[in-house]
Amino acid sequence: MGLRGHKTAAASGGQTVRCLVALIGPTHVAFPAHWVRGIITPAEAGSGGRVTWANSSYERTDLAGRLTIGAQMVTAETRIILYGNELRSRSFMVNGVLGLIDVERAQIQPLPSQFRGGERDRLLGLFSGTAYVALIANPFWVLELPPRKNALDAFVFQASERRAGEFDSRLRLSSATHEDAVPTPAGHET
Amino acid sequence: MLRAQLRRQAQVGTKGTAEARMQGLVVFSVAGQRLAARTDEIGGVMPWPGATVVPSDTPFVASLVRQEKHCLPVFDLAAKFSRTMHENEPLCLIVKHVDGPLAICIDSQVPSLHMVARSAMHYRVGNDPDIAGTCVAGDEELPIINLTTLGVSSIRPAR
Repeated sequence: MGLRGHKTAAASGGQTVRCLVALIGPTHVAFPAHWVRGIITPAEAGSGGRVTWANSSYERTDLAGRLTIGAQMVTAETRIILYGNELRSRSFMVNGVLGLIDVERAQIQPLPSQFRGGERDRLLGLFSGTAYVALIANPFWVLELPPRKNALDAFVFQASERRAGEFDSRLRLSSATHEDAVPTPAGHET
Repeated sequence: MLRAQLRRQAQVGTKGTAEARMQGLVVFSVAGQRLAARTDEIGGVMPWPGATVVPSDTPFVASLVRQEKHCLPVFDLAAKFSRTMHENEPLCLIVKHVDGPLAICIDSQVPSLHMVARSAMHYRVGNDPDIAGTCVAGDEELPIINLTTLGVSSIRPAR
């Protein structure tokens, strides 16, 4: 992602989860980044039921609707996130992309137990930035895969495994994405 | 010496009995609805920090507020009473909820502390499990709200 939007919130050696933080409506939603395949503009995505990008096909899903966040207006900041693993892939619209952030596992707060509904399937937890609170979407729910216990653990890595500034080769982001990524404002570091 | 000790104990006992007959209540309002709650159910009051919306299916629990390094769930008490908050500078009441700390947005009027005789408190089981009964605090008869179990069993708005 050109690392313009890449922030590190983890102490070296700690367990971290790399997240792509995006805006859906007024809500900051963080997607564990291992399954992010790309970020493209609506024009690049074209129309139709599927998005084809880099020889891969992504079924469109109304993630905002599924999250019950409501309708989104398409603006210059609107992006389509291509998300998938070896089993399934989906594409969905977001109102903007803030960038990648490495979040220390200990900084991730589970969803408080007063939340008792379907949101417990949709969200794995949350973390606080200086200027926002990001809700971590459950990648298994995003891809409409069977639920998995301790889903977040599948996305945890040891910060010491990667050198500072090293790019995650599992993220295949298009070059357009690198330039289009909205850099995180200085005050948004966690 | 022994007599003096007994006298002191008797005085302490009388005071303790009197205290036992009183209940500390905090009176606050939510969108104009005046409510009373036991003081031991309240963790504090702070300025309303602004809430983050959470897409939620849980009745009346659909946002979070920051408190220090953590986020607390918010119970929308105004919505429960089918009211709308119009405050410019509301306060945040922190509740000692059974499931962990919980925040409630209340009116800007600072909550007041009342010592109420237990005889002035009337517990009764009604339609709303979040309401324990009524009490007389000052000149007002107020509903007593069960803050520690708020929302645990209520799934419908209060009438």
